[in-house]
Amino acid sequence: MINTNKRTWFILSFLFPTFLFFTVFTIYPIARGMYISLFDWSGSSEFMTYVGFHNFVELAKDSILWKAVANDYFLVAGKVIGIVVLATFFAVAVTRFKIRGAKFYRIIFFMPNIISVVVIGVLWRFIYNPNIGILNSLLSIFTEEPVRTPWLGQAGTALWSILWPSIWAGVGFYFLLLVAAILNIPASLYEAAEMDGASEGRQFWSITVPLIWEQIKVSILHIAITTLNGSFVMVWIMTEGGPDNATQVMGSYLYQMGFKQFHMGYASAIGVMILVISLITTLVLQRLLRRDETQLS
Amino acid sequence: MNLITTKRNHRFLKLLSQFILLLWTTAILYPLLWTALGALKNNKQFMLEKPWALPKLPLLWSNFADVWNRYHFNEYFLNSLIVTVVSTFLAILLSATTAYILARFAFKGSQVLFYVYLSAMMIPMILGLVPLFFLLNDMGLINKLGGLIIVYTAWALPFSVFVMVSFFKSLPKELEEAAYIDGAGYNRTFFQVMFPLARSGVITIGIMNALNTWNEYLMGTVFVNDPGKYTVPVGIAVMQAEMQFRTEWGPLFAGLLLSMLPVMVMYVLFQRHIVAGVTSGAVK
Repeated sequence: MINTNKRTWFILSFLFPTFLFFTVFTIYPIARGMYISLFDWSGSSEFMTYVGFHNFVELAKDSILWKAVANDYFLVAGKVIGIVVLATFFAVAVTRFKIRGAKFYRIIFFMPNIISVVVIGVLWRFIYNPNIGILNSLLSIFTEEPVRTPWLGQAGTALWSILWPSIWAGVGFYFLLLVAAILNIPASLYEAAEMDGASEGRQFWSITVPLIWEQIKVSILHIAITTLNGSFVMVWIMTEGGPDNATQVMGSYLYQMGFKQFHMGYASAIGVMILVISLITTLVLQRLLRRDETQLS
Repeated sequence: MNLITTKRNHRFLKLLSQFILLLWTTAILYPLLWTALGALKNNKQFMLEKPWALPKLPLLWSNFADVWNRYHFNEYFLNSLIVTVVSTFLAILLSATTAYILARFAFKGSQVLFYVYLSAMMIPMILGLVPLFFLLNDMGLINKLGGLIIVYTAWALPFSVFVMVSFFKSLPKELEEAAYIDGAGYNRTFFQVMFPLARSGVITIGIMNALNTWNEYLMGTVFVNDPGKYTVPVGIAVMQAEMQFRTEWGPLFAGLLLSMLPVMVMYVLFQRHIVAGVTSGAVK
């Protein structure tokens, strides 16, 4: 009996502090965020009026929000395509084509993954800088007039200019994931295919892709979720959502509404939308990618 | 005939791939090198010369002193260091204890609890940003390093619990049983036998959390408005915003370089653990 008591006490003493911490600083804020989304609230405690789903009705009519959603999906699509294609290509190159220096490439390509997004954002702002940046100076070599394109300052190029550093910073991680996946494929499969005279392309589509599909799927889902939940830091550092909301994403719009304009209820409603949209996206992607898998195998 | 063309194709493919790999290597390394070179230039060189020009002699080492003292990076570094070390330590303690129970002491609902922690990895933290601000405000923790330590610790828990559970599960049960037979209690068995055995997992989550905390920007900027309490990423963002009014690119580049230095050193020292850490987070 004493033993059971001791055991129970031990279990509780190990679980409780962590759970308390987690409840107060993670679960409570998230639940409270959903609750606040039903209020009109500027942040000062007296004026918190219940408005039901009014914030969401307003959101549905808010053209900036839909612009932000479209921009988020643009970044998701661009990053998924750019990162998966590049990472797969690099992974196949260092494993199947037996190019030397695999370890070297792994170390170098992964480097941007450990650097702060702030540093990456600031660094790329300078690469894009109209006057002192590398990009315009490089382009100027091929033109008579020096190029002075404000890449981040005009609506047509700004979002593309944010997409590129996101791909630059993201490839390394998925490259590592896919290299590990390809190295797990039994060599005998490729040997048999070679005996049958299958070309490199044929081997890639019939052996490599089906056998690493699980990791490609994980990569796509991971890119989609992390982009929807966290793309705003890059955006905030590089353009603050501008010019004229051309690069606004849901996260940066939330930040602006909450902490620049003090519409806390509205900001929280955007937060709920981010959650809902990322959950729906995950479910839809899982569906789509599963069907592909059965077709291939 | 056919075989020869395939061979030739293969050679061409290999050469092309090698070229593209080297191109990407340059695309990664050059911006970093450019930062390092820029940290040694003065404004005139930025304005008048090509961006890829090497810094002129004498090298402007004073940029580093400028950013360290005049731009208060000494304070930012100290703040970041305190926040990173304390929250990393707390996250290890809080996650290892819970993970040990979840891995070894099955009880009604332990599985549910595990999934509660796990699902928090999927939820956008930004949803809780507004309430968290007011919660910290009520607790008097806005503009305090303590407030940042708390939110960073909480933020690190789901991933850390997840990694530590799988680590404790992988350890053989005989070791604990031997400890119990020797008369060690639950607490002693954990702290003297199991926790040291899970060292590899502890290092992995420790490094991951330290990297994430060192690099974090959003919560750092929302929960701290006092320049004396800025962390490094917030300090960099503020400094770069100031560049609209006065241009001191050299010191800014020096600041970028300095802020990357600690993570690069950690990367060199713990490359294997970092790679293991990030990949275990994605394959959940």
